[in-house]
Amino acid sequence: MSDPRTADIVYLPRWRPRGSRTGLHRGRDAGGAGPFRDQVPFLQLPDARRIDLRATLRDPFEGVHVRRFEARTAVETWVLVDLSASMGFRGAADRGRLTGDLCRALAVSATRISDGFGLIGCDETLRDDLTLPATRHRGAAVAAAERVAGAARAGRGCAGMLEAARRLAGRPKLVFLASDFRWPETLIARVFAALAPHDTVPILLADPAEAEALPAFGLVELDDLEGGGRRVVLLRPRLRRAWIAREQDRIAALERAAAPFARRVFRLAGRFDAQALSRHLMTT
Amino acid sequence: MTDLLARLGATDPWFLWLLPLALLPLVRSALRRTSVPAVAAAPADPLSAWLGRALTLAGILAVAGLIVALAGPYRTGARIERLGIGAQVSLLIDRSGSMNETFAGRQPSGAEESKAAASRRLLADFVGARAHDLFAVTAFSTAPMLVMPMTDRHDAVRAAIAAIDRPGLDYTNIGRGLGMALSQFGVDVGASRVLLLVSDGAAVIDPRIQNQLRAAVARIRPNLYWLFLRTQGSPGIADRPAGEDTPQAAPERHLDLFFKSLGVPYRAFEAEGAEAVAAAIRQIEALERDPIPYVEERPRRDLTALAAALAALGLAVLVLAKLVEADLAGAPAETATEAAGAALRRAA
Repeated sequence: MSDPRTADIVYLPRWRPRGSRTGLHRGRDAGGAGPFRDQVPFLQLPDARRIDLRATLRDPFEGVHVRRFEARTAVETWVLVDLSASMGFRGAADRGRLTGDLCRALAVSATRISDGFGLIGCDETLRDDLTLPATRHRGAAVAAAERVAGAARAGRGCAGMLEAARRLAGRPKLVFLASDFRWPETLIARVFAALAPHDTVPILLADPAEAEALPAFGLVELDDLEGGGRRVVLLRPRLRRAWIAREQDRIAALERAAAPFARRVFRLAGRFDAQALSRHLMTT
Repeated sequence: MTDLLARLGATDPWFLWLLPLALLPLVRSALRRTSVPAVAAAPADPLSAWLGRALTLAGILAVAGLIVALAGPYRTGARIERLGIGAQVSLLIDRSGSMNETFAGRQPSGAEESKAAASRRLLADFVGARAHDLFAVTAFSTAPMLVMPMTDRHDAVRAAIAAIDRPGLDYTNIGRGLGMALSQFGVDVGASRVLLLVSDGAAVIDPRIQNQLRAAVARIRPNLYWLFLRTQGSPGIADRPAGEDTPQAAPERHLDLFFKSLGVPYRAFEAEGAEAVAAAIRQIEALERDPIPYVEERPRRDLTALAAALAALGLAVLVLAKLVEADLAGAPAETATEAAGAALRRAA
């Protein structure tokens, strides 16, 4: 098995991108080496090499038709990384490392097909040191992803996401929103609404230790990574069931909030699996 | 509360400067802290909240208890005034030679009991009967003897009474004996006062001394009881002499008249045997049922064990908590091996 961090993530944008940048995605514009798109009168596209003989002969008005082919266009792939303190959680897996792996794999995959890779890290504000404008340079993209993996996560919220969404204005982009989504409900709704013009893929960083892998009985002292205080909890089967149900409710609420604006939520837990992400991206 | 605090002390008070350490459990707890993305993920649970507070309290209790135990706390001794049922009883006991005889007027032989021995036995029971009685013991023969000043130490009083069947001597000088017995009552504390005279005879009281006694009785106002251990055949209290009715001819009758003339509650019991003496004493016990303020001596009490026990309680709770502690974070070891594997793959 190849290193998950360099394995290719296959994705298809949901829209037909415009733009003159050559890439690998089927673009909306004509004029490339892609598959056949349509026929236009010769006067509109005076390209003698692509005269469509059959269509020309079939035209009762004896007009000359030229074949047009789709352009291959590049898109920009952005990752918005939540860098609030809760993203530094280490349960069954190190959440920071998982995020880093995801960014690195996306950086490699995007630049391999000459898509631009951009990265924005945010906690309460935008983290400019962890922000990368979309680039096709693989080295720069991978370096930025590595920086994210090792970044300090100390923020107490994720309000910077709104600013990040504003920065993405313009042409539609493929946006990966990597977070544990432990945000206020209003923030979730506003961020998804702000990202509505883009093809957004919410990536939920989960951990079995947060729900399924809870012990059935025992005393634990929970310490909130984002300064929510300490709490002693006596776990017992009933409380554990309630806890897991609560987590499921939270994820269901997230799905509901994301559904009108984004693709389905991809759950990233345990270890990063590029193939699973590819399947998710190709099927949603 | 302040009163209670004022009575507390410590042998090594400087240890108490460490007491702020007892606030540490508010900051840190004995449990392993598990960092979670959001505490709010755990459902609200009153039992857990209660447990959390209990554990903090147990921690505070453990630390504070240990520090206080180190300081060696104690409660200072104190004299506490309380109100009980009882009386101030001044016993005036005849120690003249005739007390050595039996009620039949003979020297005791075999199972027979002298008057002194009988009164000793019965008075000893009288002393133990009520916890808050104060007793003074005065003996008299020719001269009065201060045996025991007014005290609530009943053991000492019983010991004093145990000594009254020592062979008595000489004559009966009742006037000075009464004077000393009256002087045994100290400052008036509002208690009922009882002067119990135990004698087997009487004597003439000098008129001068009579006046002094009258003055003392008027000041002290005791309840007067005369337990007259009458020898069989001897004249009783009420018996008029055959001849001239003078104090010399019938001292008992005239002492009785003197007591009656004092203007204080007075009763005389003529006892002609041990049973009669017991009945008389029971009657006195029943009559004297007034509240009396008494002083309770409370010794200094070491509270180290209490503090240590509280600390042990707190520690026991904490140990229990540690025993049921669970590990929330999955398996860190697995993550480590995975990381090593990833590094290997990268190298390869």
